Order: sequence, then C-alpha cells, then structure tokens
Amino acid sequence: MKNFRDIEQLSSYLDGQLSPSESTRMESRIASDPELASAFNDIRAARGILRRLPSRKAPRNFTLTRQMVGLKPPLPRSYSFFRFSTSFATILLTLTFAVNLLTPRLSYVGPLNTGWWGGGYGGGPVAPQAAAPEMMEALSATEAPMAAAAPALEMDVVPTEAASADSARVMETPVVEAPTAKDLGNASELQDQPQVKKEAVVPIAWQIGLLAVGLISLLMMLALNRSAKQKWK
Amino acid sequence: MDEIALVQSAQHGDLDSFNTLILHYQDRVFNTALRILGDEDIAQDAAQEAFISAFRSISSFRGGSFKAWLLRTVTNACYDELRRQKRRPTTPLEPDTKDGDEMDSPRWLADPNLTPAEQSEADELEHAIQHCLDTLPTDFRTVVVLADIQGMDYSEVAIAAHVPLGTIKSRLARARLRLRECLRGFEELLPSSFRLEEERTS
Repeated sequence: MKNFRDIEQLSSYLDGQLSPSESTRMESRIASDPELASAFNDIRAARGILRRLPSRKAPRNFTLTRQMVGLKPPLPRSYSFFRFSTSFATILLTLTFAVNLLTPRLSYVGPLNTGWWGGGYGGGPVAPQAAAPEMMEALSATEAPMAAAAPALEMDVVPTEAASADSARVMETPVVEAPTAKDLGNASELQDQPQVKKEAVVPIAWQIGLLAVGLISLLMMLALNRSAKQKWK
Repeated sequence: MDEIALVQSAQHGDLDSFNTLILHYQDRVFNTALRILGDEDIAQDAAQEAFISAFRSISSFRGGSFKAWLLRTVTNACYDELRRQKRRPTTPLEPDTKDGDEMDSPRWLADPNLTPAEQSEADELEHAIQHCLDTLPTDFRTVVVLADIQGMDYSEVAIAAHVPLGTIKSRLARARLRLRECLRGFEELLPSSFRLEEERTS
C-alpha cells in the first residue's frame, strides 16, 4: 500500500483535480509503479461502483404548504395602525378602571359636612369662627322648634366668639346637640349621616370612548385579516 | 427553469417558486439523505425538514451554487437526525447470527416474493454499497455521497459539507479506500460490469 499522500493524489487525479503538470507526473508514476497502479485501480473501481448506484425516485413530493412553513398572509399597513390603537385603547381603559377603583374621591356636600368637621371631633383646621356662621345658617333654616331654642343658642354662641378655640369647642357641642335632642329630628338625622357623593377620577364618558375606539379597531383588524386571507387563497 | 429568478422570488416569500425548486431537486435531496442515513423513512423526514429549513433560511443564500447550498441543508438535517439517533439509540431489526454477531449483509431485508436471481440483480449491489457506506464515519460518508453518488465537484462538496477543499480531498481518498476494502467482502455480489472493469483495469 502506498502512503496516504499518494492515495490522496491518486484520488484527486481520478477526479481531474490536479494541475496539468501534476497530472503528467502522476501518469508517468502510475505507468512505472505497479503498486501505485493497483491502488489507482482500486480507487477507480470504488468510484465506479458508487456511480452505478441507482438513483431512487423520491417516494413522494416534498412541496411545502403555507402551514408547514408558518407563512401568514401579507397584511395591509393599516393593520398595524389598528393593532396599535386596539392595544393602546385597551391599556388606557384598564388604567382608567384601575384608577377609578383604587383612588375613589369622596366629597361631602352641604353644611352638615362642615358641622361634622367643626362639631367638636378634633377638626383642627376648621375654626370655630367659621363654623359658627354656618351653624347659624343651618339653624335658621329650621322650623318653629328652632325658634324656641333661639335664646339658648344666642347665649351659647356669643361667648364662643369671644373665647379661645379650646373653650369654643367645648361650648359648641351642646349647641349642636341641644336642638337635636329636643326637636330637630330631621336635622339630626342629616347630621349623623353626611351626604357623600362619589366622583370618578376619570369620567365614564372617557371610558366609553376608549371602549368604542378599542372595539372599532379590533373589528377593523379582524376585517382586514379576513380580507387578506381571502385574497391570499 | 430559471433557477435564479425562482430563488429570488422565494427570497421574497413566494412559496410557489420555492416549490418549483423543490420539485426539481427533491430526487437528489432524497437520495442524498437516503445514502447518508441508510433508511428510507428517516430520509424522507430529513428531506422534508431540509426543505422547510431551506425555505426559512433562503434569505441567507448569497448566490453561487443553489444545489450546493440546498444539499448543505440536507446534510445538516442528516447530522441532526444522526445526533438524535445517538441520543436515543434503538434496537436494530437486523437479526443476529448463531454466534451472536450481526449479519454483514443486509440481504435479509430483501423482498421474499422475488426470485433469488431477480433479487441479486435488483438489490444486492445497492444493499452491499449501502452497507459499506454505513460502515464509514459520517463525515467520510457525506463527502463520498456528495462527490461520487451525487456527482458534485469538489468546490460544491466543500460548500455542502461546510469543510475546506483540502479536507474534501483527504476524506474522499480515505472513504474510497475504505469502501474498496469493504466491497471486496461482497465480491461475489457485485455485478459483472464491476468485475469486468476491475479485470480490465488490473
């Protein structure tokens, strides 16, 4: 057996991969060296029999379908716009719901609200001087039984204006409670149950608008997708 | 068939153009997979995978021999399959001899309905060659399948096998020598044409 370098040269010579000068040299070596000639014949025989190997016909067609390669129909450019607007509207709508749920804003309406804060339960910022006129308005709105209590009220309120803030709080309590205990049935009920109005941070009209935008965009997306698929078919 | 135009259309996503290319090359692709893997069903799967992979990556084709590029995807698919087989080895169906050794010749796979003469005429050469191919290391087998069975030139084989030209020459020479040695064991099975050629050249 020749060395492997010779075998490689013989194989290349067989395939015509040697330069003309190398081929000429190899031909003369094969002619003069029986061992090299035998190796050459072996390689040529092996190649010859490989080339006689029958070619099989493909047992089936290997053509591809769009599903096999995951192809999707080409969509118009407007599709991406509607996709964006759908996503954007959905996110905003979700956010508005979250904001409205998590941060409810309570507003207390009417003079009774002020009475609550200034009614001796430690409503520091509300000065008795401010509470007193409002209380007077409330009291003046009452009916005849209130009129009967007027002297008592006057007596109590006057020193309130002159006294210090602490003493005013102490004095106010009976002022409000006095008529309640006597005759102010309706008024006292309103005092005990302040009117609370819950306001949404984001108006519901906005939410409806966002919902409409989202739905319209979604419908447009579906329509474009369907149209593209039909065109593709 | 305007191959360049079809390739360019396929690169723009035209599946019909690519399917035209498939119809043109499917026999060659299937045969390459069959000779490397040695099993028709597995070769079909590998060929299908190769075509899917080729379509998905056709944008990476920068010109040159499309056949070599396509056969490269086939050899890659075959290597993947062989690696998978290594990870999950299966028990061969090939029966053992009384000594417990596997039979050298795959003749037991032959169709029993054929007469022995027909059988030997039709299948023995192919079986003998396939058996000898199967004994080669995968890298050698790939090179010899591409060069000698598919008839590709060295530069195309280098692209398809993704190895340098010098390595192709070396592997091809070694593979041919080994095949010759292996085929000597099937001398009586070889067709007369081969024996005549051998006698003529000796």
